[in-house]
Amino acid sequence: MSRLYGDPIEVWVRDGHPAQFVWRDRLYTVREIQDYWVVAREWWKTSDADPGERRFWRVGAATGKEAGTYELRFDTASGGWLLLRAWD
Amino acid sequence: MTEPFTHLHVASAFSLRYGTAFPAALVRRAAEHGMDTLALTDRDGLYGAIKHVIACHEQGVRPVVGVDLALDGAASPPSTPDDLFGGGPPYGRRTGRGHAHGHGHGRGTAGEPARVVVLARSGGWAALCRLVTAAHHAGERGEPHVTPGVVAEHATGPDGEPRLVVLLGPRSGVGRAVAERRDDHARALLAAWRATVPDVVVEVSDLYGYRDANTAARMIGLADSTGVPVVLTNAVRHLDAADHQVGNVLDAARKLVPLDGRHLDDPTAHAYLKDGAEMARVAARICGGDTGRAGRLLAETRRVADRCVLDPVEIVPLLDPERPRLHLPETGEDPVPALRRRCEEGLARRGLERSAEARDRLAAELHVIEKKRLSGYFTSVAGITDMIRGMGVRCAIRGSGAGSLVNYLIGIGEVNPLEHGLLMERFLSEGRKGLPDIDIDVESARRLDCYRAILGRYGEERVACVSMMETYRARSAIRDVGAAMGLPPHEIDVIAKAFPQVRARQIRAALSDLPELRDSGLNDRSLQTVFRLAERLDGLPRHIALHPCGVLIGNATLRDRTPVERSLLDFPMSQFDKDDVEEAGLLKLDVLGVRMQSALAYALREIERVENRKIDLDAVPRDDPETYDMIRLSRTIGCFQIESPGQRELVAKLEPRTMHDLIVDISLFRPGPVNSDMVTPYLETRHGFREARYPHESLREALKETNGVVVFHEQVMRIIDIMTGSGLSEADRARRALGTPEGREAVRAWFVPLARENGYPPDVVEQAWKVLDAFGGFGFCKAHAAAFALPTYQSAWLKRHHTAAFLAGVLTHDPGMYPSRVILDEARQCGVDVLPLDVNRSGKTWLVERTGPAEGGPGEFGRGYGLRVPFSAVRGVSEAEVDRMVAGRPYTSLADFWERARPSRPVAERIVEVGGFDALHGLRPGEPRWRPGRLTRRDLIAQVGALDRGSPVGAAGQLPMGFTERVTPGELPEMTEAEAVEAELEILGMDVSRHVMDFYRDLLDAIGVTRARDLLRRRNGAEILVAGVKVATQTPAVRSGQRVIFTTLDDSTGPIDLTFFESVQAHTAATVFGSWLLAARGVVRRTGGRAVSLRAVHCWNLADLDRVWRSEGLDAVRAMISEVPAPGAGVGGRPIEYGNGFRVSPYSDNGAPPAAREGRFLSGLPAEPQRRLWHASSGSSGPSPGR
Repeated sequence: MSRLYGDPIEVWVRDGHPAQFVWRDRLYTVREIQDYWVVAREWWKTSDADPGERRFWRVGAATGKEAGTYELRFDTASGGWLLLRAWD
Repeated sequence: MTEPFTHLHVASAFSLRYGTAFPAALVRRAAEHGMDTLALTDRDGLYGAIKHVIACHEQGVRPVVGVDLALDGAASPPSTPDDLFGGGPPYGRRTGRGHAHGHGHGRGTAGEPARVVVLARSGGWAALCRLVTAAHHAGERGEPHVTPGVVAEHATGPDGEPRLVVLLGPRSGVGRAVAERRDDHARALLAAWRATVPDVVVEVSDLYGYRDANTAARMIGLADSTGVPVVLTNAVRHLDAADHQVGNVLDAARKLVPLDGRHLDDPTAHAYLKDGAEMARVAARICGGDTGRAGRLLAETRRVADRCVLDPVEIVPLLDPERPRLHLPETGEDPVPALRRRCEEGLARRGLERSAEARDRLAAELHVIEKKRLSGYFTSVAGITDMIRGMGVRCAIRGSGAGSLVNYLIGIGEVNPLEHGLLMERFLSEGRKGLPDIDIDVESARRLDCYRAILGRYGEERVACVSMMETYRARSAIRDVGAAMGLPPHEIDVIAKAFPQVRARQIRAALSDLPELRDSGLNDRSLQTVFRLAERLDGLPRHIALHPCGVLIGNATLRDRTPVERSLLDFPMSQFDKDDVEEAGLLKLDVLGVRMQSALAYALREIERVENRKIDLDAVPRDDPETYDMIRLSRTIGCFQIESPGQRELVAKLEPRTMHDLIVDISLFRPGPVNSDMVTPYLETRHGFREARYPHESLREALKETNGVVVFHEQVMRIIDIMTGSGLSEADRARRALGTPEGREAVRAWFVPLARENGYPPDVVEQAWKVLDAFGGFGFCKAHAAAFALPTYQSAWLKRHHTAAFLAGVLTHDPGMYPSRVILDEARQCGVDVLPLDVNRSGKTWLVERTGPAEGGPGEFGRGYGLRVPFSAVRGVSEAEVDRMVAGRPYTSLADFWERARPSRPVAERIVEVGGFDALHGLRPGEPRWRPGRLTRRDLIAQVGALDRGSPVGAAGQLPMGFTERVTPGELPEMTEAEAVEAELEILGMDVSRHVMDFYRDLLDAIGVTRARDLLRRRNGAEILVAGVKVATQTPAVRSGQRVIFTTLDDSTGPIDLTFFESVQAHTAATVFGSWLLAARGVVRRTGGRAVSLRAVHCWNLADLDRVWRSEGLDAVRAMISEVPAPGAGVGGRPIEYGNGFRVSPYSDNGAPPAAREGRFLSGLPAEPQRRLWHASSGSSGPSPGR
C-alpha cells in the first residue's frame, strides 16, 4: 500500500527526468523510471492565462540499501517539486 | 539517415468543434519539420481534403487523406466473448449513447462512440469519398457512423485489391478494450476486423496522459502476437501545444457541457504536430527503451504512409494548368455540334442572322469555348434554364455571364451583350483556368422547386448542392465560450447581442474602441477570460450549411469525387465549398433565390386577381417618365437595389432617366466607387458643372458612357487593351491583379513600358495609370449591373403604377432591408389604405382590396386600394392553422371560428387583440362611439377562454352544441387606442391602426420638433430637432475611414436620414443602437435638389423624454435636450488601409451579408413572420446590457 505525503522536495534532473532527490533529509537515487505522464492544469479555474501543466513520475529509487517506489510531481508554473506518495 | 516521420492521424479545424489548425498551416509546419508526407484525417468528413491536397502540392509534400469515423453502437462494446460470437452482429449492438459510463478510457470518452481512422490507399480516393457518403447516409444528420461491414464494402476494388487502410487506435473498440485490460475481448475485436477488411493496422499514440504509454505498449504486444502491423501517430489536433486550451473549449462546446476535467478529450497538451525527433522519443518511450522495436514501429508507420500517397492532380484537376480534367455531365450527343446548332437557331430567333458583329462575336466565343472543351457545359446550363422557365418560374441571368453572346443566343440570359457593350472576356477567356460561373436568379419561393427539378432530371447520383462552412464570429464565439465557462444562458445572450457582427478576434478591440461598448460594463475583469478565449475561436469552422445557391451537376462518377451528406432540408450536399468544387473540376451552377423575383411574381398575380389584368412585365416600356419621376424623388422604399438611405440620397442627386442611368447608379453605389470618390466627378460632369475629361482621345469611346469616369470593370479592360494592344483576355487578367498591392506593382511594371511602346506620351500613360491605380480592384462588372437594373426598373414601375399589389408582394416575400412596419408606412404615404386583420377577409398572405376611387393628393399614387393584414402575420400561428382559417371563411361568430378553424388558444386571443373580430362583432375600440354595455375585445378574449374550457380534451372541434359560458357584453372595458397599437406591435410586429408616433404628437409639438415633410423648408445649416421611430441603422464603409452611423427615422410624414460622425458617438452611440424611439438634434444638410439629411449632434430615447415630460413637466424635458454633452472619446481602432490609400473603419459593414440573412433564402414563404422592428446592418451593435 502506498502512503500519501505531498512534501516539497529538492530534485536533480538529468535528460529531462529526475535523477536524484532529497526527501526528509535523505538523498534518494533514481534507479528506474516506471511511468511518466502529464496533466494539463484546469486553466479555466485560474486567473492566469497559462497555468502550465503538472508532470508526474513514478520512479524506483533507493537511499542506501532501502529501495522503494515513489511518485514525484513537478508543477511547470511554480517550478516546484512534491513527493506525492511512496511505496516503501 | 532514417526517413522522415509521417503523421497519419491529423485533425484540422475542419473537424468541427474539435480541431484548431487549418490544413495549410499544418502542411507548412510539416514541411518545416522536414516531413515529406502528411495525412489529413478529419472527423466525419473530407471538408478540408481539397485544401490539404492543394497545400501539399504547393509545399512539395505528398498528400495522404483519410477520415476519422465513429463506429455504430461501439460505445458499448459487447461485454463477453460470447456476445461477440454468439448471434447478432459481432461489433456490438446499438444501445444508444452514454451506456459506456464506467468503462471509459479514463479520459473524456465516456459516452462517446468508438472511432477508427480510415485512410485512402493510393488510388483509393473514390472509395474514401463513397465511404464517407455511406457513413452520412447511415447516421442521423450530423452524426455519421459506420459499421465494419460498411467499411468492408468500400475497402476493396472490383478485383479484391485493397483500397482503404483501417487504423485501430486508442479510441477504437480494440484500444478501449486494451485500456480496460480486457485482452481477450480486444483480441476478438481485432480478429473480427481482420476477417472483414484486408488492410488493418493497429495505431498507437502516447499523449503523455496517465497510462497512455502503458496502453500503447500493450497494444503493440497484442498486435505483435497476432501479426498485425503497428503504426505510431500523435492523434494531432493542434499546431502548437498552447492551442490545447482552445481544444478544451471546443470539447465543451461540442458536448454542450461546461468545462470540466472529466469532459475533456485530451487532459494533456501534447496532441500537436510534433517533429520527428519528438516522435522518436515517443516511440522509444512506448517501446520501453527497446530501440529495435521503436525503429520497427517508425518504419512500419512509414510503410503505411508510402502506400497511401495520393496523386494531387487526380483529386484536384485544376493543379494541372495545361489540360485540367473536368468532370462534365453526360449529354448523350457530341456537345460541340449541338452547341453550334443551338447558337445558329438563336441567331435566327433573336433576329441577329444578318449582323456581322454578332457573327464575329459568336465565332470568337465559340473558339474559346471549344478550345476549353466547354460546349457541354453551355448546353447543360441551357437545358436547365429551359426547364426552369418551363415550370413557370421567373428566371434571370446575373453576373458576368450576361456578357456572353452565347448565353443570350441559347436562352440562358435575356440581356443582349452587344446592346450594352458587355465583354465576353470578363466572363470567360483563354487565360482563365477552370469553369466559368453562370449565375441564375430564380424566385426565392421556388428555388427549392428548381433544385428538385434539377435533381429529378439528372438523378441523385449526379447532382449535389454545394456547402459552406459557417465560422466563429464574435457573437457565436462568445456564446460557445460563455456556455463552456458556465455563464447563465440569458447573460450570454445579452453579452453576445451587445456586439456588432465583427470578427471574433476583434472582440476586445471593439470593447475599447466603440463608445457604446466602452460604457456598457462588459469590460469587467470577470469576462476577460471569456473574451480572450472567444478571440481564439476566430474563424474556426462551426457548422456546415447549404450554400445559398451552388448546385453541382456532374456525371455518374460525381460521388467518386466528392463525399455527399444530407442538408437540413434533406438535399444531397457536397462536403466541399465553392472553391473546393471549382478546384476539383466539377461543374457548378449558381441558382440563387431572389426574393424580389418572388415579390414581382406575387404582385403580378395580385393584379390579375383584383383587376383581371395580365401584365407582361418584361414587355413594359423601359422609359416611363412617371416611374423615373418617382425614383428621382427618392420614393424608392421597397424597390430593388435603390431603397437604402444611401441609395435614396444617390438617386436624388443622379436623377436617373434611362436604364443606362440605373446601371451606372447601381455600379456607383459600391464601397469601391464611394471610397475612391468616383461619385462626385461623375455627378459634376453629368449635370454639366464640369466638362468630361479623357486621358487620351483614343480612350473616349471606352469612357464616354460615364463622362470620362471609370465605373465598370469592362472600361478598365478596354483602357488596358487599347493602350497595350494586349487583347481583352490579357486585359482582364491584369484587371484582376489590380486587387492587391503586389499585383498593382506587377501590372504597372508591365503596363507603363508597353503603353509607351505603343506611342502614348509619358504624361498620358501616367494619367491613365493613375486612373487604373485609383480604381484598384474595385468598380463593378457592368454585365452584373445591367442584369440588376432590369428588376430594379420593373420593381419601380410596379410601385408607381400598381402600388398596393407591389407592396403586397414586398410584404409577403420580404425582399429588402426594411421591416414590415416601414413598408406599411410607405404604403400609407402612397395613399394605400392599411386594413386590419379581419377573419372574414384576411388571407394567407397580404391581399389587395379595392377601397374607393383612385384619386389622391400629390404622390398618393396608390389611392383607391388597401392592403389586408394576413393571418400569417400573427405571432406564433402555424401554417396548418392559417390554412384552416382561410379555408373556413366566412365565419358567423367567434365561436364559429373557434370550432371550424381550430386555432390554439393563444393564437385566437391574439387575433381578437389585434381586431380580427372587430368587423364581425361590430367592435369599435378606442372610438368615442363605444359605450359601456357593448361588446369589447376583452369580452371576446374572455370568451376564447370559455370556449377553450368548453372543448373536450383530445377531441378538438367537437364542441357540444349550445354549450358556451355566457359572457356579458361590456363586462370588461374596451382597449384604448394606445393599447391596440401596442398589441399590434407585439403580435404583428407593425403598427396597423395608427402610427406609433401619433402618441407623441403633443410632446413633439411642445418641444418644437420639425417633421419630415417640412425638412425641405428648413435652411441649410439650421440646427433643428427631429424625432421618429428608428427604421434602420447602418455603418457602411466610407471614405474618411471613420465608423459613421447612418440612421433613418420615420415620423409618419416621411423618412429622416441622420448621420452620426465619430465625434458625437461617445454620447450618442449607445442610445442610437439601444433605443427604438429616438429624438435627435441635428444640422440640416442639403444633399440634392429634393434631398435633405441631418448631421446629428445629440440624441435621446424619445420614451425617456416622454416619461420625464409626464412626470416632471416641459421644463425638465427642455433642460434635457439643451444639455451640452461632455466631450468623450470617439471611436478607436485603426482604419483598414487599402494599398491605394482608401481607409475603411474596421467596424464598417463589410460587403458579405451575414449568413443568417442568406439562410433566409432557404425558406419559401416567411413561415415565421419577421419580429424585427428595424433594420440593423451587420456593423450595428445591439442594445448594451445594463441599459
